[in-house]
Amino acid sequence: MNFSVLEAYQGAILGGLGTTIYICALSIALGLVLGLAIELVRQELPWMRMPCRIYVEFFRGSPILIQIFLIYYAGPHFGLLLSPVTAGVVGLSLYGAAYYAEIFRSGFEAVPKGQIEAAECLGISPSRVLWRIKLPQMTALVLPPLVNQSIILIKDSAVLSVITVPELTKQTSKIINETFTIAEPLLVLALLYWALVEGLSRLGRFLETRMNRHITSSAGRTS
Amino acid sequence: MSLARTNIPPVINITNLHKRFGNLEVLKGIDLDIYQSEVVCLIGPSGSGKSTLLRCINFLESYEQGLVKINEEPMGFVEMYDGTLRKAPAARVLESRRDLGMVFQHFNLWPHMNVLENVTEALRSVKLRPRDKAEAKGKAMLEKVGLGDKLDSYPANLSGGQQQRVAIARALAMDPSIMLFDEPTSALDPELVGDVLAVMRSLAAEGMTMVIVTHEMGFAMDVADRVVFMEDGKIVEQGDPKTLFNAPKSPRLAAFLSSWNRRTNS
Repeated sequence: MNFSVLEAYQGAILGGLGTTIYICALSIALGLVLGLAIELVRQELPWMRMPCRIYVEFFRGSPILIQIFLIYYAGPHFGLLLSPVTAGVVGLSLYGAAYYAEIFRSGFEAVPKGQIEAAECLGISPSRVLWRIKLPQMTALVLPPLVNQSIILIKDSAVLSVITVPELTKQTSKIINETFTIAEPLLVLALLYWALVEGLSRLGRFLETRMNRHITSSAGRTS
Repeated sequence: MSLARTNIPPVINITNLHKRFGNLEVLKGIDLDIYQSEVVCLIGPSGSGKSTLLRCINFLESYEQGLVKINEEPMGFVEMYDGTLRKAPAARVLESRRDLGMVFQHFNLWPHMNVLENVTEALRSVKLRPRDKAEAKGKAMLEKVGLGDKLDSYPANLSGGQQQRVAIARALAMDPSIMLFDEPTSALDPELVGDVLAVMRSLAAEGMTMVIVTHEMGFAMDVADRVVFMEDGKIVEQGDPKTLFNAPKSPRLAAFLSSWNRRTNS
Protein backbone atom coordinates (compact mmCIF):
# COMPACT_ATOMS: atom_id res chain seq x y z
CA MET A 1 0.00 0.00 0.00
CA ASN A 2 1.27 3.41 -0.91
CA PHE A 3 -0.88 6.29 0.21
CA SER A 4 1.65 8.97 -0.72
CA VAL A 5 0.14 9.31 -4.23
CA LEU A 6 -2.96 10.67 -2.59
CA GLU A 7 -1.14 13.58 -0.99
CA ALA A 8 -1.27 15.56 -4.23
CA TYR A 9 -5.04 15.00 -4.33
CA GLN A 10 -5.88 16.11 -0.81
CA GLY A 11 -7.72 19.14 -2.12
CA ALA A 12 -9.81 17.08 -4.53
CA ILE A 13 -10.73 14.58 -1.83
CA LEU A 14 -11.66 17.25 0.69
CA GLY A 15 -13.63 19.10 -1.98
CA GLY A 16 -15.51 15.92 -2.82
CA LEU A 17 -16.17 15.29 0.85
CA GLY A 18 -17.52 18.82 1.20
CA THR A 19 -19.81 18.40 -1.81
CA THR A 20 -21.10 15.07 -0.49
CA ILE A 21 -21.81 16.58 2.94
CA TYR A 22 -23.48 19.61 1.37
CA ILE A 23 -25.65 17.54 -0.98
CA CYS A 24 -26.61 15.00 1.67
CA ALA A 25 -27.43 17.59 4.33
CA LEU A 26 -29.60 19.50 1.90
CA SER A 27 -31.29 16.36 0.55
CA ILE A 28 -31.97 14.97 4.02
CA ALA A 29 -33.43 18.30 5.16
CA LEU A 30 -35.60 18.72 2.06
CA GLY A 31 -36.57 15.04 2.10
CA LEU A 32 -37.67 15.26 5.73
CA VAL A 33 -39.78 18.36 5.09
CA LEU A 34 -41.34 16.86 1.97
CA GLY A 35 -41.86 13.48 3.63
CA LEU A 36 -43.63 15.04 6.59
CA ALA A 37 -45.68 17.21 4.24
CA ILE A 38 -46.76 14.13 2.26
CA GLU A 39 -47.79 12.34 5.44
CA LEU A 40 -49.73 15.35 6.77
CA VAL A 41 -51.44 15.96 3.43
CA ARG A 42 -52.64 12.39 3.13
CA GLN A 43 -53.83 12.40 6.74
CA GLU A 44 -55.84 15.57 6.30
CA LEU A 45 -57.07 15.33 2.70
CA PRO A 46 -58.63 11.98 1.75
CA TRP A 47 -58.61 12.82 -1.97
CA MET A 48 -54.82 13.25 -1.87
CA ARG A 49 -54.27 9.73 -0.58
CA MET A 50 -54.05 8.12 -4.01
CA PRO A 51 -51.60 10.66 -5.52
CA CYS A 52 -49.43 10.40 -2.40
CA ARG A 53 -49.51 6.65 -2.58
CA ILE A 54 -48.50 6.65 -6.24
CA TYR A 55 -45.63 8.99 -5.39
CA VAL A 56 -44.38 6.80 -2.55
CA GLU A 57 -44.75 3.59 -4.53
CA PHE A 58 -42.93 5.04 -7.54
CA PHE A 59 -39.93 6.35 -5.64
CA ARG A 60 -39.66 3.23 -3.52
CA GLY A 61 -40.29 0.96 -6.46
CA SER A 62 -37.61 2.11 -8.89
CA PRO A 63 -33.81 2.24 -8.51
CA ILE A 64 -32.34 5.56 -7.42
CA LEU A 65 -30.00 5.40 -10.43
CA ILE A 66 -32.94 5.39 -12.83
CA GLN A 67 -34.60 8.26 -10.94
CA ILE A 68 -31.43 10.34 -11.20
CA PHE A 69 -31.15 9.53 -14.92
CA LEU A 70 -34.78 10.50 -15.42
CA ILE A 71 -34.29 13.85 -13.76
CA TYR A 72 -30.92 14.70 -15.30
CA TYR A 73 -31.07 13.16 -18.78
CA ALA A 74 -34.81 12.90 -19.45
CA GLY A 75 -35.63 16.15 -17.64
CA PRO A 76 -34.57 18.41 -20.54
CA HIS A 77 -37.17 16.67 -22.75
CA PHE A 78 -39.78 18.10 -20.44
CA GLY A 79 -38.16 21.51 -20.15
CA LEU A 80 -36.38 20.64 -16.93
CA LEU A 81 -32.78 21.78 -17.27
CA LEU A 82 -30.91 21.27 -14.03
CA SER A 83 -27.25 21.45 -13.13
CA PRO A 84 -25.78 18.11 -11.96
CA VAL A 85 -25.72 19.22 -8.32
CA THR A 86 -29.31 20.50 -8.41
CA ALA A 87 -30.52 17.39 -10.21
CA GLY A 88 -28.74 15.30 -7.58
CA VAL A 89 -30.28 17.16 -4.66
CA VAL A 90 -33.73 17.02 -6.25
CA GLY A 91 -33.37 13.30 -6.96
CA LEU A 92 -32.13 12.36 -3.50
CA SER A 93 -34.76 14.55 -1.81
CA LEU A 94 -37.66 13.07 -3.79
CA TYR A 95 -36.34 9.56 -3.19
CA GLY A 96 -35.71 10.13 0.52
CA ALA A 97 -39.11 11.78 1.01
CA ALA A 98 -40.93 8.62 -0.08
CA TYR A 99 -39.22 6.60 2.64
CA TYR A 100 -39.43 9.35 5.24
CA ALA A 101 -43.19 9.69 4.63
CA GLU A 102 -43.66 6.01 5.45
CA ILE A 103 -41.57 6.36 8.61
CA PHE A 104 -43.62 9.38 9.70
CA ARG A 105 -46.79 7.43 9.08
CA SER A 106 -45.75 4.63 11.40
CA GLY A 107 -44.70 7.29 13.94
CA PHE A 108 -48.10 8.96 13.94
CA GLU A 109 -49.80 5.59 14.28
CA ALA A 110 -47.70 4.84 17.36
CA VAL A 111 -48.85 7.89 19.35
CA PRO A 112 -51.47 6.45 21.73
CA LYS A 113 -54.96 7.39 20.65
CA GLY A 114 -56.00 8.06 24.24
CA GLN A 115 -53.60 10.99 24.44
CA ILE A 116 -55.21 12.57 21.41
CA GLU A 117 -58.66 12.01 22.89
CA ALA A 118 -57.57 13.61 26.15
CA ALA A 119 -56.48 16.67 24.18
CA GLU A 120 -59.74 16.77 22.22
CA CYS A 121 -61.71 16.56 25.45
CA LEU A 122 -59.93 19.67 26.66
CA GLY A 123 -60.88 21.52 23.48
CA ILE A 124 -57.34 21.63 22.05
CA SER A 125 -57.41 22.28 18.30
CA PRO A 126 -56.06 19.71 15.80
CA SER A 127 -53.12 21.90 14.73
CA ARG A 128 -52.09 22.44 18.33
CA VAL A 129 -52.46 18.70 19.02
CA LEU A 130 -50.11 18.10 16.10
CA TRP A 131 -47.45 20.53 17.33
CA ARG A 132 -47.64 19.96 21.04
CA ILE A 133 -48.53 16.28 21.38
CA LYS A 134 -48.15 14.25 18.20
CA LEU A 135 -44.92 15.68 16.77
CA PRO A 136 -42.82 15.80 19.96
CA GLN A 137 -43.65 12.20 20.83
CA MET A 138 -43.45 10.97 17.31
CA THR A 139 -40.02 12.53 16.83
CA ALA A 140 -38.59 10.38 19.61
CA LEU A 141 -40.19 7.29 18.09
CA VAL A 142 -39.15 7.86 14.49
CA LEU A 143 -35.65 9.12 15.17
CA PRO A 144 -33.89 5.72 14.89
CA PRO A 145 -35.55 4.75 11.57
CA LEU A 146 -35.01 8.29 10.23
CA VAL A 147 -31.30 8.09 11.04
CA ASN A 148 -31.18 4.67 9.43
CA GLN A 149 -32.82 5.93 6.26
CA SER A 150 -30.53 8.96 6.17
CA ILE A 151 -27.49 6.67 6.39
CA ILE A 152 -28.79 4.81 3.36
CA LEU A 153 -29.27 8.15 1.60
CA ILE A 154 -25.67 9.19 2.30
CA LYS A 155 -24.38 5.97 0.82
CA ASP A 156 -26.75 6.23 -2.16
CA SER A 157 -25.41 9.69 -2.89
CA ALA A 158 -22.42 7.91 -4.49
CA VAL A 159 -24.73 7.30 -7.44
CA LEU A 160 -24.53 11.00 -8.29
CA SER A 161 -21.01 10.41 -9.61
CA VAL A 162 -22.59 9.08 -12.82
CA ILE A 163 -24.12 12.47 -13.59
CA THR A 164 -20.74 14.18 -13.01
CA VAL A 165 -21.52 15.71 -9.62
CA PRO A 166 -18.04 16.41 -8.16
CA GLU A 167 -18.75 14.50 -4.97
CA LEU A 168 -16.58 12.05 -3.10
CA THR A 169 -17.00 9.04 -5.38
CA LYS A 170 -16.58 11.09 -8.54
CA GLN A 171 -13.38 12.71 -7.24
CA THR A 172 -12.01 9.33 -6.22
CA SER A 173 -12.66 7.76 -9.60
CA LYS A 174 -10.86 10.73 -11.17
CA ILE A 175 -7.83 10.03 -8.97
CA ILE A 176 -7.93 6.37 -9.98
CA ASN A 177 -8.01 7.32 -13.65
CA GLU A 178 -5.15 9.78 -13.32
CA THR A 179 -2.81 7.82 -11.03
CA PHE A 180 -3.69 4.23 -11.92
CA THR A 181 -3.71 3.39 -8.21
CA ILE A 182 -6.89 1.59 -7.28
CA ALA A 183 -6.85 0.08 -3.80
CA GLU A 184 -5.67 3.12 -1.86
CA PRO A 185 -8.18 5.68 -3.14
CA LEU A 186 -11.05 3.20 -2.82
CA LEU A 187 -10.07 2.34 0.72
CA VAL A 188 -9.92 6.00 1.67
CA LEU A 189 -13.29 6.52 -0.05
CA ALA A 190 -14.93 3.74 1.95
CA LEU A 191 -13.44 5.02 5.20
CA LEU A 192 -14.68 8.54 4.55
CA TYR A 193 -18.25 7.34 3.93
CA TRP A 194 -17.98 5.29 7.07
CA ALA A 195 -16.85 8.35 9.03
CA LEU A 196 -19.81 10.35 7.71
CA VAL A 197 -22.26 7.61 8.59
CA GLU A 198 -20.71 7.13 12.03
CA GLY A 199 -20.98 10.86 12.71
CA LEU A 200 -24.66 10.86 11.77
CA SER A 201 -25.50 7.82 13.84
CA ARG A 202 -23.73 9.34 16.86
CA LEU A 203 -25.78 12.50 16.42
CA GLY A 204 -28.87 10.29 16.22
CA ARG A 205 -28.02 8.46 19.43
CA PHE A 206 -27.36 11.74 21.22
CA LEU A 207 -30.73 13.18 20.15
CA GLU A 208 -32.47 9.95 21.02
CA THR A 209 -31.27 9.87 24.62
CA ARG A 210 -32.12 13.54 24.97
CA MET A 211 -35.64 13.09 23.69
CA ASN A 212 -36.37 9.93 25.59
CA ARG A 213 -35.05 11.11 28.92
CA HIS A 214 -38.54 11.47 30.43
CA ILE A 215 -40.25 8.68 28.59
CA THR A 216 -37.86 5.74 28.88
CA SER A 217 -38.58 5.02 32.50
CA SER A 218 -42.16 4.26 31.52
CA ALA A 219 -41.12 1.63 28.99
CA GLY A 220 -42.94 -1.58 29.70
CA ARG A 221 -45.19 0.12 32.21
CA THR A 222 -48.72 0.66 31.04
CA SER A 223 -50.35 2.11 34.08
CA MET B 1 -82.47 13.92 44.01
CA SER B 2 -85.80 15.38 43.38
CA LEU B 3 -84.64 18.14 41.06
CA ALA B 4 -86.54 16.38 38.30
CA ARG B 5 -89.77 17.59 39.81
CA THR B 6 -88.74 21.21 39.89
CA ASN B 7 -88.55 23.21 36.70
CA ILE B 8 -84.76 23.36 36.54
CA PRO B 9 -83.70 21.76 33.25
CA PRO B 10 -81.19 18.90 33.37
CA VAL B 11 -77.53 19.72 32.62
CA ILE B 12 -77.28 16.52 30.61
CA ASN B 13 -80.31 15.45 28.65
CA ILE B 14 -80.11 12.20 26.68
CA THR B 15 -83.05 11.08 24.60
CA ASN B 16 -83.47 7.85 22.69
CA LEU B 17 -79.74 7.43 22.08
CA HIS B 18 -78.71 4.69 19.66
CA LYS B 19 -75.12 3.83 18.82
CA ARG B 20 -73.80 1.17 16.48
CA PHE B 21 -70.32 -0.18 15.85
CA GLY B 22 -70.84 -1.75 12.44
CA ASN B 23 -73.56 -4.34 12.88
CA LEU B 24 -73.32 -4.31 16.65
CA GLU B 25 -75.80 -2.05 18.38
CA VAL B 26 -74.15 -1.05 21.66
CA LEU B 27 -76.69 1.53 22.81
CA LYS B 28 -80.31 0.64 22.19
CA GLY B 29 -82.30 3.71 23.08
CA ILE B 30 -80.97 5.42 26.19
CA ASP B 31 -83.01 8.09 27.97
CA LEU B 32 -81.26 9.77 30.87
CA ASP B 33 -81.44 13.18 32.52
CA ILE B 34 -78.73 14.35 34.89
CA TYR B 35 -79.20 17.43 37.05
CA GLN B 36 -76.90 20.06 38.47
CA SER B 37 -74.66 18.75 41.29
CA GLU B 38 -75.89 15.22 40.85
CA VAL B 39 -73.42 12.35 41.17
CA VAL B 40 -74.50 9.50 38.92
CA CYS B 41 -72.68 6.17 38.81
CA LEU B 42 -73.10 3.95 35.76
CA ILE B 43 -72.65 0.27 36.62
CA GLY B 44 -73.12 -2.92 34.69
CA PRO B 45 -71.26 -5.86 33.21
CA SER B 46 -68.52 -5.15 30.68
CA GLY B 47 -69.93 -4.71 27.21
CA SER B 48 -73.14 -3.24 28.57
CA GLY B 49 -72.44 0.09 26.84
CA LYS B 50 -71.74 2.28 29.88
CA SER B 51 -68.37 3.55 28.65
CA THR B 52 -69.80 4.14 25.19
CA LEU B 53 -72.64 6.14 26.72
CA LEU B 54 -70.11 8.28 28.58
CA ARG B 55 -68.11 8.81 25.37
CA CYS B 56 -71.27 9.82 23.51
CA ILE B 57 -71.93 12.49 26.13
CA ASN B 58 -68.81 14.42 25.10
CA PHE B 59 -69.06 13.24 21.49
CA LEU B 60 -65.85 11.22 21.49
CA GLU B 61 -68.22 8.78 19.82
CA SER B 62 -70.84 9.99 17.41
CA TYR B 63 -74.24 8.36 17.37
CA GLU B 64 -76.82 7.34 14.81
CA GLN B 65 -80.05 8.29 16.46
CA GLY B 66 -81.29 10.31 19.40
CA LEU B 67 -79.66 13.36 20.94
CA VAL B 68 -77.41 14.41 23.79
CA LYS B 69 -77.88 17.94 25.09
CA ILE B 70 -75.44 19.62 27.44
CA ASN B 71 -76.89 22.65 29.21
CA GLU B 72 -79.71 22.54 26.67
CA GLU B 73 -77.34 22.75 23.69
CA PRO B 74 -77.15 19.75 21.34
CA MET B 75 -73.77 18.02 21.52
CA GLY B 76 -72.13 17.33 18.17
CA PHE B 77 -75.06 18.71 16.23
CA VAL B 78 -76.43 22.13 15.40
CA GLU B 79 -80.16 22.72 15.61
CA MET B 80 -81.46 24.45 12.49
CA TYR B 81 -84.31 26.96 12.54
CA ASP B 82 -86.73 24.34 11.30
CA GLY B 83 -85.75 22.04 14.15
CA THR B 84 -83.67 19.61 12.07
CA LEU B 85 -80.18 18.66 13.16
CA ARG B 86 -76.96 19.05 11.20
CA LYS B 87 -73.62 17.60 12.15
CA ALA B 88 -71.64 20.31 13.94
CA PRO B 89 -68.26 21.38 12.54
CA ALA B 90 -65.25 20.09 14.48
CA ALA B 91 -64.46 23.51 15.97
CA ARG B 92 -67.99 23.73 17.36
CA VAL B 93 -67.66 20.30 18.97
CA LEU B 94 -64.42 21.40 20.66
CA GLU B 95 -66.24 24.45 21.98
CA SER B 96 -69.19 22.43 23.27
CA ARG B 97 -66.82 20.22 25.24
CA ARG B 98 -65.68 23.13 27.38
CA ASP B 99 -68.29 22.43 30.05
CA LEU B 100 -67.18 18.82 30.26
CA GLY B 101 -64.10 17.41 31.95
CA MET B 102 -63.11 13.85 31.13
CA VAL B 103 -61.01 11.38 33.09
CA PHE B 104 -59.94 8.14 31.43
CA GLN B 105 -59.19 4.68 32.70
CA HIS B 106 -55.61 4.88 31.46
CA PHE B 107 -55.06 8.54 32.48
CA ASN B 108 -53.80 9.52 29.01
CA LEU B 109 -51.30 12.01 30.32
CA TRP B 110 -48.80 13.38 27.81
CA PRO B 111 -45.54 11.65 28.74
CA HIS B 112 -43.23 14.27 27.19
CA MET B 113 -44.62 17.07 29.38
CA ASN B 114 -44.10 17.41 33.09
CA VAL B 115 -47.00 17.44 35.50
CA LEU B 116 -47.46 21.20 35.49
CA GLU B 117 -47.24 21.35 31.67
CA ASN B 118 -49.86 18.63 31.40
CA VAL B 119 -52.22 20.68 33.54
CA THR B 120 -51.51 24.07 31.93
CA GLU B 121 -51.37 23.04 28.26
CA ALA B 122 -55.08 23.55 27.57
CA LEU B 123 -55.18 26.74 29.66
CA ARG B 124 -52.46 28.17 27.46
CA SER B 125 -53.58 26.87 24.07
CA VAL B 126 -57.38 26.92 24.43
CA LYS B 127 -58.05 29.65 26.98
CA LEU B 128 -54.95 31.60 25.87
CA ARG B 129 -53.93 32.36 29.45
CA PRO B 130 -50.48 33.91 29.85
CA ARG B 131 -47.90 31.57 31.31
CA ASP B 132 -47.88 32.96 34.87
CA LYS B 133 -51.69 32.88 35.16
CA ALA B 134 -51.88 29.38 33.74
CA GLU B 135 -49.17 28.14 36.07
CA ALA B 136 -50.80 29.67 39.12
CA LYS B 137 -54.05 27.96 38.22
CA GLY B 138 -52.28 24.70 37.44
CA LYS B 139 -50.49 24.74 40.78
CA ALA B 140 -53.74 25.39 42.60
CA MET B 141 -55.39 22.45 40.85
CA LEU B 142 -52.47 20.14 41.63
CA GLU B 143 -52.54 21.19 45.26
CA LYS B 144 -56.21 20.39 45.32
CA VAL B 145 -55.52 16.79 44.28
CA GLY B 146 -52.63 16.54 46.76
CA LEU B 147 -49.77 16.76 44.26
CA GLY B 148 -48.51 20.28 44.90
CA ASP B 149 -45.00 18.84 45.38
CA LYS B 150 -44.86 17.02 42.02
CA LEU B 151 -45.01 19.95 39.60
CA ASP B 152 -41.73 19.10 37.85
CA SER B 153 -42.15 15.33 37.80
CA TYR B 154 -42.85 13.50 34.60
CA PRO B 155 -45.78 11.06 34.32
CA ALA B 156 -43.43 8.07 33.99
CA ASN B 157 -42.09 8.75 37.47
CA LEU B 158 -45.48 8.84 39.17
CA SER B 159 -47.58 5.99 40.50
CA GLY B 160 -50.81 5.18 38.71
CA GLY B 161 -52.83 6.84 41.44
CA GLN B 162 -50.75 10.01 41.18
CA GLN B 163 -51.06 10.01 37.40
CA GLN B 164 -54.82 9.72 37.66
CA ARG B 165 -54.93 12.65 40.07
CA VAL B 166 -52.88 14.71 37.64
CA ALA B 167 -55.41 13.78 34.97
CA ILE B 168 -58.21 14.98 37.25
CA ALA B 169 -56.35 18.25 37.91
CA ARG B 170 -55.82 18.66 34.16
CA ALA B 171 -59.57 18.39 33.57
CA LEU B 172 -60.47 20.63 36.52
CA ALA B 173 -58.12 23.39 35.35
CA MET B 174 -60.55 24.18 32.55
CA ASP B 175 -63.35 24.88 35.05
CA PRO B 176 -65.82 22.34 33.67
CA SER B 177 -69.30 22.31 35.14
CA ILE B 178 -69.59 18.55 34.61
CA MET B 179 -66.98 15.84 35.14
CA LEU B 180 -67.09 12.51 33.34
CA PHE B 181 -65.08 9.58 34.72
CA ASP B 182 -64.52 6.44 32.65
CA GLU B 183 -63.53 3.68 35.09
CA PRO B 184 -61.03 5.99 36.79
CA THR B 185 -59.70 3.37 39.21
CA SER B 186 -59.86 0.21 37.10
CA ALA B 187 -56.22 0.40 36.01
CA LEU B 188 -54.88 1.09 39.49
CA ASP B 189 -53.28 -1.19 42.04
CA PRO B 190 -55.79 -1.70 44.87
CA GLU B 191 -53.75 0.28 47.41
CA LEU B 192 -53.75 3.34 45.11
CA VAL B 193 -57.49 3.44 44.52
CA GLY B 194 -58.26 5.20 47.78
CA ASP B 195 -56.39 8.45 46.97
CA VAL B 196 -58.23 8.85 43.68
CA LEU B 197 -61.61 8.12 45.23
CA ALA B 198 -60.87 10.63 48.00
CA VAL B 199 -60.31 13.35 45.41
CA MET B 200 -63.54 12.40 43.66
CA ARG B 201 -65.40 12.41 46.98
CA SER B 202 -64.27 15.94 47.74
CA LEU B 203 -65.31 17.06 44.26
CA ALA B 204 -68.76 15.60 44.84
CA ALA B 205 -68.94 17.39 48.20
CA GLU B 206 -68.19 20.69 46.43
CA GLY B 207 -71.26 20.17 44.28
CA MET B 208 -69.61 19.12 41.02
CA THR B 209 -71.95 17.33 38.64
CA MET B 210 -70.35 13.94 38.03
CA VAL B 211 -71.04 10.96 35.80
CA ILE B 212 -68.91 7.99 36.77
CA VAL B 213 -68.56 4.65 35.06
CA THR B 214 -67.28 2.45 37.86
CA HIS B 215 -66.90 -1.00 39.32
CA GLU B 216 -66.39 0.42 42.81
CA MET B 217 -69.71 -0.50 44.38
CA GLY B 218 -68.69 0.73 47.81
CA PHE B 219 -67.86 4.14 46.38
CA ALA B 220 -71.12 4.24 44.42
CA MET B 221 -73.01 3.35 47.59
CA ASP B 222 -71.30 6.18 49.52
CA VAL B 223 -71.12 9.00 47.06
CA ALA B 224 -73.67 8.52 44.29
CA ASP B 225 -77.00 10.31 44.37
CA ARG B 226 -78.21 7.88 41.77
CA VAL B 227 -76.95 4.59 40.39
CA VAL B 228 -77.84 3.56 36.86
CA PHE B 229 -77.57 -0.13 36.00
CA MET B 230 -77.02 -0.90 32.34
CA GLU B 231 -77.01 -4.17 30.52
CA ASP B 232 -76.96 -5.00 26.83
CA GLY B 233 -77.17 -1.39 25.68
CA LYS B 234 -80.15 -0.45 27.81
CA ILE B 235 -80.81 1.10 31.18
CA VAL B 236 -82.30 -1.75 33.17
CA GLU B 237 -82.84 -0.07 36.51
CA GLN B 238 -81.90 3.13 38.30
CA GLY B 239 -82.44 4.73 41.65
CA ASP B 240 -80.73 5.85 44.84
CA PRO B 241 -77.89 3.49 45.72
CA LYS B 242 -79.30 2.11 48.97
CA THR B 243 -82.57 1.00 47.45
CA LEU B 244 -80.90 -0.23 44.30
CA PHE B 245 -78.23 -2.30 46.04
CA ASN B 246 -80.40 -3.62 48.86
CA ALA B 247 -83.59 -4.31 46.97
CA PRO B 248 -82.91 -4.72 43.23
CA LYS B 249 -86.15 -5.00 41.32
CA SER B 250 -84.88 -6.65 38.17
CA PRO B 251 -83.45 -10.18 38.25
CA ARG B 252 -80.55 -9.05 36.05
CA LEU B 253 -79.38 -6.45 38.53
CA ALA B 254 -79.79 -8.96 41.35
CA ALA B 255 -77.63 -11.44 39.43
CA PHE B 256 -75.02 -8.76 38.69
CA LEU B 257 -74.85 -7.69 42.34
CA SER B 258 -74.63 -11.24 43.66
CA SER B 259 -71.78 -12.10 41.27
CA TRP B 260 -70.02 -8.94 42.39
CA ASN B 261 -70.54 -9.87 46.06
CA ARG B 262 -69.18 -13.34 45.46
CA ARG B 263 -66.07 -11.85 43.86
CA THR B 264 -65.34 -9.40 46.65
CA ASN B 265 -66.06 -11.83 49.45
CA SER B 266 -63.91 -14.64 48.11
